[in-house]
Formats: sequence, structure tokens, C-alpha cells
Amino acid sequence: MTINANVEASTEGEEQRITVQRTSKHRLILRRFCRNRQAVVGVVIVVLMVLYSIFAKYLTQWDYDEPDFTALKEAPSAEHWLGTDNVGGDLFVLNARGLGRSLMIGFIASIGITVIAAFVGTAIAYVEGIWEKAGTWVLDMMLVIPTFFLLAIMVSAASGTSGWIWLTFALMIFGWIGYARVLRSIAQSLRDREYVAAARYMGVKPLTILWRHMIPNLGSILIIHTVLGVVYAVEAETGLSFIGFGITPPDTSLGVLIKAGAASLQTAPWIFLTPALLLLALCYSMTKIGDGLRDALDPSSESGGKA
Amino acid sequence: MLKFIVGRFVSYAVMLFIATSGVYFLASWFLDPRSNYLAMRPQPPIESINASLDYANINDQTPILERYWNWLTGVVLRWDWGYSPVGEPVSEIIWDRAWVSVQLVTISTVLAVVIGIAVGVRSAIRKYSAFDHTSNSISVLFLVMPSFVLALLVVLIYLELQATFDLHWFAVTGLGDGTFLSYVQHLFLPTLVLTLLGYVGFHLTQRTYLLDTMNADYVRTARAKGIPKNVAIRRHALRTSMIPTAYGIAFSITGTVTGALFVEQIFAINGAGLYFIETLSKNDINGAVSVAFLGGVATCAGLLLADIFVAILDPRIRIS
Repeated sequence: MTINANVEASTEGEEQRITVQRTSKHRLILRRFCRNRQAVVGVVIVVLMVLYSIFAKYLTQWDYDEPDFTALKEAPSAEHWLGTDNVGGDLFVLNARGLGRSLMIGFIASIGITVIAAFVGTAIAYVEGIWEKAGTWVLDMMLVIPTFFLLAIMVSAASGTSGWIWLTFALMIFGWIGYARVLRSIAQSLRDREYVAAARYMGVKPLTILWRHMIPNLGSILIIHTVLGVVYAVEAETGLSFIGFGITPPDTSLGVLIKAGAASLQTAPWIFLTPALLLLALCYSMTKIGDGLRDALDPSSESGGKA
Repeated sequence: MLKFIVGRFVSYAVMLFIATSGVYFLASWFLDPRSNYLAMRPQPPIESINASLDYANINDQTPILERYWNWLTGVVLRWDWGYSPVGEPVSEIIWDRAWVSVQLVTISTVLAVVIGIAVGVRSAIRKYSAFDHTSNSISVLFLVMPSFVLALLVVLIYLELQATFDLHWFAVTGLGDGTFLSYVQHLFLPTLVLTLLGYVGFHLTQRTYLLDTMNADYVRTARAKGIPKNVAIRRHALRTSMIPTAYGIAFSITGTVTGALFVEQIFAINGAGLYFIETLSKNDINGAVSVAFLGGVATCAGLLLADIFVAILDPRIRIS
């Protein structure tokens, strides 16, 4: 039920009027989402992180390319709120910059992955028969070699400040395969619906059928996948940067910062802990938002409560 | 059943062949061993660069299909995986390295499966109990934690404990001097990391699947006939719910292989994962392809084991 009627009886004068207040679909979804406390906390954390990554540089006197040579590897203090790294860079601004880069890669790559996966997944389901079998087989074949290996080969050569665009592109190229497999199995049931058959007999082009009739009906699943895909993309990006590929200095990301922190784990643990905690908080809140969206968008979900 | 298994085996072998060939083309396209020599100061003469690259069959001036054919005949006919840019044979290095990773991945996968299924079954039977809630929150935390962050946290916590209590139980680098005790001491923490990363998936999926089948009609019938609850769950519900878990094991191996790469890097274990990182930084096409092939073999082995396991569990496959 997407329409929920709050019937209010109000007496005005002699006649009795009944006003029916409709709850719109979006309001309903929002209300169901807000019932999941952890998901709401997740949204707050992600919003705070975005604000932090944008505005941190205005809050402190330090800049990311302006190291403080009088304070090398200094623990968090009043002057450097999150401490400094090996060369005296202020971690409060460095983390903000790295977080911004990771967020950007994560969101762009995840949206791209969802678009590619939606098209390929529904297309394979739509063609049916022998071609569907062949398409599924090809997807399975592409998943045989661990995706991370392919990513590493592709981005190991890239470097410099434009390297992140290349990395985002690589994440899109290899990230959609697993999602497309899942979406194909869901789209199989859509393919057999009457409206798809009707569109087909009316002579609508296959691509239009995919775009107008099949993909919109996967909408809620795609939204959930996009949110959870951010976790996948951020983890892959930080992982690649951590082993020295992907993002490389002078550009920075959470992975680069964690790699730098790993070198002085014992002597200066805050260099590792601050970006690691940011990364954990990001992944945790995105996962919780995904869970909350699943409860809110899925009508058969057991999230409970009235409407 | 044998026909089913053989069919799957052939299918995986073909997949592995095509995927590895794909990786060969990908690596030849993106890795540039010539740049290793061009960056040398003083730069070696161009003829000598070409001679070295030709020896290793990675010269970018040779047509790619010719290089691929040389590489393929070498692998298929002589099991020779080619040479690194400086002329070391890959086959001499890779198998020792692979053996190290196989130990790491196998031990932690077995532990993860056993622990994950045990926790999953217990939390499904006692749904919404304190145990269920606690194990669930812990698992979600490990679920979102990237492998290298977990590995570094384990190292950090252990080093702190070591400094505080002066305990020297375990080691955080390498694989020890060969005695059994030192082997266990060195392998404990890396295995712990991979097990923690792996068990989560089995716990959460096994819990869901068992909850789905626990209330099935056939379990209720078994209970009505007087079978104790635990026996009914073990014999009737668990068996059905293990089928999707079996395929989960196959797909978790990919994650464990990737996790092993980070664990080997952080704990300085000379396994195949660390070798992969080394080959990429040296533009070693043949080396990188051989490790990717090993990753593919691990995935296929997992899928095949899952097929065999499912065939044993599922009478529909066993009988036909």
C-alpha cells in the first residue's frame, strides 16, 4: 500500500465534511526510513563527512601543502587537532582532503557501476534462450579471476593528480560484473510481464523497452545497490592506494593516508588511526543507510510499524 | 553425479583458459617493461633493451598475437610461465610462493566456515537472544572493515599488548625459521585476520537461510512426529540451508585471496600476493599473469568443491 489515508472528521457548521489526507509515496518511504535509527545516524555521519571534507580547510590555519616543520609526528594538540604526519603536514586538513577524494571516487564509480550493471543485466535477461545462457556464462567467466587483480594491473601504471579519474574509470569497468549477475536473475521475472510483451508486440525497440519498462521497475534495488556500491568502490580504491597503486602522492586519499600511517604504526599511531576511523565510519554508515533503504523501499520488508 | 561434476570441471577449465588469456592481453596492454630500461641512467643501448625484452617475450614491438602464441605454447607444452623483464624464470619462483598462500587461505577458509556456520546456526536457533544480537553487531563491524585496516589494527593491538605485558607469543613478520612452534607463532595473527574477515559472510547468510527453512512444513512435520527440536533442525532444516552456504564458500575464496594479498603485504609473508605486488611494480607481465591464473584456479577449485558438496547434499543432483 502506498496510499495511506488519514481520515479526519471535522465539523464545520451544519454539514459534516470529511477531509482525506493522502500520504505521498515519498513521505511514506521517508517515514519508514526514519524508523531505522542506525540508518538515520548513518545519513547524519555521511552528511557531516561531506561538510568536513569541503569546509575543513577554512577551520584551521594550516593548509595541506603547507607543512609545519616545527612539529613533525606530533600527537593531537590544540594547534594540530589531529596531530601531524612525518613531514609535519596537519592531519586535520590532510584527512579532509583524502576523505573528499575517496568520497568523490566512491560515489561517481558506484553510480557508473549501477548504470552499466542495470543495462547489461536486464539486456541479458531480455534476450532469453541461448543468448541469455551465453551472456551469463561470459559474466561467470569474467568473475573467475579475482577482480582486484585485474584492477591492480589496470591502474598500476597510472599516476599523478589525474590518476583518480583513471582509477574511477577502472572501478566502473570491472565493478559491474557481480551486480549484473544479480540484476539478471531479478529481471528474469520482469521479462515475462504483460507490459513488456505488450510493448514488444507494439514494435517498441528493445533498448527502449529496457530503459522505459524494465529498468524503472528495478528502481529500488538499483538505489540500494548504488548506496552499497559506494562501500565497494571506496574499499577497492583505498586498498589499491594502500598497496601503492591507484592514487599516488602528491594526490591523496584515505588509502594513501593509511599507507603512510602504517609505516609508523608504533611510534605515531594517530597517523594511521584517524584516516582508518574515517574510512570505517564511512563504510559503516553507508551499509546502514543501505539497510534502512531496503526496509523503506521493500513493501514486503518486516520493518514493522504502521505504514 | 559423476557426469555433472565432469561437466562442471570442463566448463571451469574453459572459463579459466579464456579469463587467463584475457589477463595476458590486459597486462600486455597496461604494463610497460620497456619503461624499466628507459628509466635507467645511463640508458642501455636500444639493441640491448630489445634483446632483453625479446628474451622474456615481452617486447612491445613484437605483434601481440605472436607474443601470446609464444607464451601459450610455452605454458601448455612445457608448463613454462615465461621470464621476468630481467630474465628470471617465473616458474622457479611462483610455486613456492603459491604454496605459502595456499596454506594461509586454506587454514583460514576452513576455520571461517566452521566458526561462521556454528555461530549462524546458534544465532538462528536462538533468534533475538543476547547471543544473536551480540554476534550480529560484531559481524556487521567485521563486514564493513576493509581487510588492510583490520590487519593493521590487529598488529597495532598486538604490539600494544606486547609492550604492556611483555608477552612474546606471536610474531608479526614472515613465516619463522621452520620449526613447528615458530610456524604457529608466525601464522597465528595473519590467519586470525583472514578468519575474522571470512566468517562474517557464513554467519550472516547461514542465519538467514536457516531461519527461512526452520519454519518449513517438513520441519514442522518432523517435529509433529516426535523428533526433538535440535535433531529436526540438524537433519531436516540445516541440510537444505547448507546448499546456498556451499556456493557462498566458493565465492568467499575470491575475497580471501584478495585479503591474503593485503595480509601478506602487512605481515611481510613471501606469498603469491606479495609476489603479485612486486611483479606489478617491476612491470613483470608474465609474473603478474601467473599470479592472476593462480587466483582463478583458487576460485574454480572453490566452485568445484561447492558443486561436489551440493551434489552430495541435494538428492536431485545425486540421483540424476
